[in-house]
Amino acid sequence: MTSDQTTLNRPEERLRRSSGPDRAAPKRPKDPFARSAAGFIAPGVILVAVLLYLPLLWTTFLSLTEYNGLGDPEWVGFANYLEMFDDPGFIGSVLNTLLWVAGTLLVPVGIGLGVALLTWNLKGGTWLRLPFLIPYALSGIGVGVIWSFILSGDGALDQALAAFGIQDTPRWLVDAPLNTVVMILATAWQGVGVNALLFTIGLQSIPKEPLEAARVDGANGLRLFRSILWPMLRPLTAVVVGLSIVASLKTFDIVQGMTKGGPGRASETLALTMYKETFVNSEYGLGSAIAVFLTVVTLAASILYLRQQLSSKHGV
Amino acid sequence: MRSRKIPAAIAAAAAASMLLASCGGGSADDGATTGTLDFYTNKAAWEPDFDELNAQSEGDVDISLNTTGYSDAAQYDAFIKQSFRTDKSPGLFTWQTGPSLSELVDEGLVAETTDIWTKAVDEGWIAEDLKEAYTFDGKQYCVPMNVAYWVMYYNKPLFEEQGIAEPTTWAELDAAAEKLKGAGITPYYQTSTLFTFPWFQQLVAGTDPELYNGLATGEVKYTDPRIVEIMETWRAQQEAGWFSDAGSTVDPAVGLKQGDFAMINFGSFFNGSLDGAGMVSGQDYDMFVIPAVNPDLGTTPVAVESGPLCVAENSSQKTLGLEYAEWWMSPDAQTAWSAARGDVAFNPQATVADPILEELGTTVAGDGYERYDRYYEATPTPILTVALEQFGAFIANPGDPLPFLETIQAEADAYWADQG
Amino acid sequence: MPFKHTARIVRTAVLVVLGLFWLLPVYLLLVNAAKSPETFTTKESWIPTDFSLLANMAEAVRLSGLAESAASTLLYAVVSPAIAVVVGAAAGFAIVALRLRHGFAWFVVVFGGTVFPLQMILLPLFDAYSRVGLFDSRTGMIIVYTAISIPFSAFVMRNFFTGIAHSVFEAAVLDGASTWRIFARVYLPMASSALVAVFILQATFIWNDFLLGLVLSQSDTVRPIVTSLAGMQSTYGGAQMSTVLAGGLLVSLPTVVLFLFTQKFFARGLALGQY
Repeated sequence: MTSDQTTLNRPEERLRRSSGPDRAAPKRPKDPFARSAAGFIAPGVILVAVLLYLPLLWTTFLSLTEYNGLGDPEWVGFANYLEMFDDPGFIGSVLNTLLWVAGTLLVPVGIGLGVALLTWNLKGGTWLRLPFLIPYALSGIGVGVIWSFILSGDGALDQALAAFGIQDTPRWLVDAPLNTVVMILATAWQGVGVNALLFTIGLQSIPKEPLEAARVDGANGLRLFRSILWPMLRPLTAVVVGLSIVASLKTFDIVQGMTKGGPGRASETLALTMYKETFVNSEYGLGSAIAVFLTVVTLAASILYLRQQLSSKHGV
Repeated sequence: MRSRKIPAAIAAAAAASMLLASCGGGSADDGATTGTLDFYTNKAAWEPDFDELNAQSEGDVDISLNTTGYSDAAQYDAFIKQSFRTDKSPGLFTWQTGPSLSELVDEGLVAETTDIWTKAVDEGWIAEDLKEAYTFDGKQYCVPMNVAYWVMYYNKPLFEEQGIAEPTTWAELDAAAEKLKGAGITPYYQTSTLFTFPWFQQLVAGTDPELYNGLATGEVKYTDPRIVEIMETWRAQQEAGWFSDAGSTVDPAVGLKQGDFAMINFGSFFNGSLDGAGMVSGQDYDMFVIPAVNPDLGTTPVAVESGPLCVAENSSQKTLGLEYAEWWMSPDAQTAWSAARGDVAFNPQATVADPILEELGTTVAGDGYERYDRYYEATPTPILTVALEQFGAFIANPGDPLPFLETIQAEADAYWADQG
Repeated sequence: MPFKHTARIVRTAVLVVLGLFWLLPVYLLLVNAAKSPETFTTKESWIPTDFSLLANMAEAVRLSGLAESAASTLLYAVVSPAIAVVVGAAAGFAIVALRLRHGFAWFVVVFGGTVFPLQMILLPLFDAYSRVGLFDSRTGMIIVYTAISIPFSAFVMRNFFTGIAHSVFEAAVLDGASTWRIFARVYLPMASSALVAVFILQATFIWNDFLLGLVLSQSDTVRPIVTSLAGMQSTYGGAQMSTVLAGGLLVSLPTVVLFLFTQKFFARGLALGQY
C-alpha cells in the first residue's frame, strides 16, 4: 500500500493525485485520519457491496453459462458473448442506446442548466422553477400513460397540430428513429427539473465575493457565465452529466411502456434487449452477458468522464 | 490493506451465495386442507375478482386465497421459476400451456392432477378435449383457470347503420370489411406491439389447421409458399386500408366504442373491458366466431386460450393447493368465477351470467367447431419473440412479406436444430 | 439599472412561457383523469367533459388495494433516503475532507452501484432475501431502498463538499473537534440544501418504485404503492385509462406536496463564506 498524503494546505494538488488509482508516492508513516476515513466510508461501501455487487457477481457468473431458470446453469465459457455480437439486432440496440446518451446530454441537461441560470437570483425564481419539477414528482404510471396518449396516432399532439392546420403528421411512435427521438423528449420533460435543481444547488454554493468582484469589473451575461459560473459549477455539472450518462445507458421503462422496442426492434435499447433475452426468452446466460457488457460500458464511460472532471486542476 | 481485504471478502461471500443458490429449495408439505392459500398470478388485474371468490370458497371448502398479482408477465415467469428454489414455492400459481408448462413438468416442478381430472371428466365438469393441453406422458398437471375463445367483437350500432349482419362465411366477412371501408369506417383493429399475431393466426388456421400445427411443430417453414400466399392476402388487406392506425395507442375497448374501427379480434375476456368502457353487452357490442378462410373445411377452427392453475410439487401448501384446484373445477366455483370475472366458463354445468358469453360457450362447444391452441402458447418462446417483432414490423410498414418470414424462419431453424 | 430590470423581465417571461409549455402534459393528465370511464373518448383530449376525478380515484383505490400500501410506502420513502443521505454524505466526507487513500477508487466503488440495470439483480436478490428471511418484510425493503439510494447521494454530496474550502476542516481540527463532530456540526449543516435535494429526489424515486417492490414483497401491507397500482393495467382487462390516470395522480399527490414544501430550502443562497 502506498500513501500519498500531502500537505493539508494544497487541496488541488491532493485531489489530482488521489484520483490516479495507482499513482505511487513516497511512503508516509501515518495518516492521522485514515481510520476515521475508513469508518466514514464503510457503511456506504458495505451496503452497496452486499446488496448490489453480490447479485451482480451472480449475473457475471451466469453470463458464462447456459441457463433457462430451471435446473442448473451449464458452463459455456464466452459463447454468450460471441452470440451477442453476432446478432444484428444487438448492433441496432447499441446504436439506439448511443442516440439516447447523446439526446439525454443535449436536451435535459441543456434545458436544466438553462432553467437553473434563468431562475438564479431571480425574484420568484423558486416558483418559476416549480413547473419543471412537477413532472418528476408525478408517478411513472400516470406519466407513461399520458405520453402514449399524447404521441398516439390521432392523439393529443396530432389533435393540437390539427387545430393549427397541420394535418400530415408523422407516426410518432412507429417511424424510426423518430420514435426514439420523441421518447427522449418525453424523458427530458420529466428529467429537466432534477437537473435544474442540481444546477441550482451548484449555483448557490458559489461564494459571493468572486462574483461581486467580477460584476464590479463589468463582467455580465455570457462573460460572467464563462469566466466564473461555469468553472464554479463544475462539481455539479459532473454530477448531472455523470448521472445522465448512466441513466441514458440504462434506458428501459419508457421504451418498454410505449413501444416495447418496436415496431420490430426499431426502438430497442440495450436494457430492453437484455430484458427480452432474460425474462421473455429465459436465456439467462445471454441476457446476463448483455447486462455485463452494458455494465462495463457504463462503468468505463463514467470512470473516463469523472476522472477527468473530478481530478483536473480544480475539483472546485 | 483494507482495500485488499474487502474485495477478498466480497469474493468469498459471492462464492457462498452461489453455493446456496445451487442447493434445492422447497419445503415439506404441511398437509393442511383448510386455511389461507398463497396464490400468485400474472393476471394482476383480476385480483379483485379472485378476492371476490373467497366468500364462495370459504363456504365450500374453507380455503381462501391470498393473492399476489404481477403486472409484468415475463418477470412473473422468472420469479416463479426462481421461487421453486426457495421455501416460497407457490401453493397455487397461474401459468401458460404449451412449451412453458412442458418445461416445468419435465423438471418435476408441478404437482400431478390426474385424479382431479378423472373426477372432473367423470362428473361432466369439463369437455374431454381440453385435457390434451394438460397431459404429459399420459398424466395430467394443473387445472384450467380460465378458458377464452378468440372471436370477433364488433360495434353493433356501426354494423346496423351499414346494414351488415354477422358474417357466417369468409366471403361475407370480406364483403362487410369492404362495405365498412367504403363508408369511411376502418374495419379491423391492429397493433404493432406485442399482440401482433391474431390476424396471422386466424388466416393460417382458417386456411388449413394442419399448416398451422405444422408451424408450431417445425414441420412447416415460415417461408413455405402457402404461408407466403397467406401473408400476401394480409398485405392486400393492409393496402386496402382495412386495419386501424398502427401508431395508435388508444385502449382497444375505447377504440371500439368510439368507432376507430368496427371489429376487433380478441379473447372472450374482453367483455370485462368493454363493459368497463361503458358499452352494453348485446346492445353496443356483440361477437361472432370468425368464419374459416377456406369454405371447404369441415369445421370452423376457433383459437382457445387456456390458462392453467398449478401447484408446485415442493410447496409447503401442496395439499391445500390441490384441494383448491379440485374445488375450482366444480360448477359452483365456475358459476361464481364467471359472475366475478365476466367470462365464459369451461364447466358446462356452470351458469354464465352474460347471455352473449353463454351463447358463445354453447356454440363453440358444439359440433362444427374445432378448438386449437392460440399462437401465443403454441409457438416455442424464442420463435414467438421474433415472430411478434416481425409481425409488428410488417404491420407498421407492410411490404414484401418474405424478408419478415425469413427472419422468423432463421430463428426457427436455430431453435429446432437446438432441440435435436 | 434599466438594463438589469429588462433582463429580469425577459428571464421571467421566458420561464413563464416555457413553464406553461411544461405544464401542458400535466393539464392533459388532469383533464383526462377527471373523465368518466363510461363516456371517455380520445377524440377530444384537450377538452374537459365532466368531473369524475374523485370517483375515478376511489375506483383506483378499490381495484388496486393501494390504501393498505400507503403506510409502508411512506415509511420506506422517509427512512431509506434519510439513512442514505447521511451514509452518502459520510462517504463524501471521508473522500473529500478526510482525504481517504485511493479516494477516487472508493468513490467509483460506491458510485458503481448505480451503473447496471436493476433488472439484473432482482432474481439473486429475491433468492437471497427469501433465504435470510427478509423477503416480504419492511426491514428488507428499507435495506434495499437504502442501498439503492446511496450511490446517488454519495455522488452529489462528494461533489458538493469539494466546494467547501479545506481550510474549514483544518480550522475545526485545530479547535480540537473530533471528525464525527466536524461532520455532524460543520459539514452537514453547510450542506443542508444539497441534503434536502438528495432526500426529496430519492424519496420521490422510492415512492414511485415499482420493480423492487414487485419482486421482494408479496403481502398488501409490505408492497409499495406503485407496485399495487401497476397491477391494474393489463391486457386482461382491469382499469380503464381515466382510472389509471386518476390513480397515478392520487399517488403523486404526496410527492408534489413534498416538492412544494421544500422549495424554500432552495430559495436562499448558501452562506459558505462565513466559514
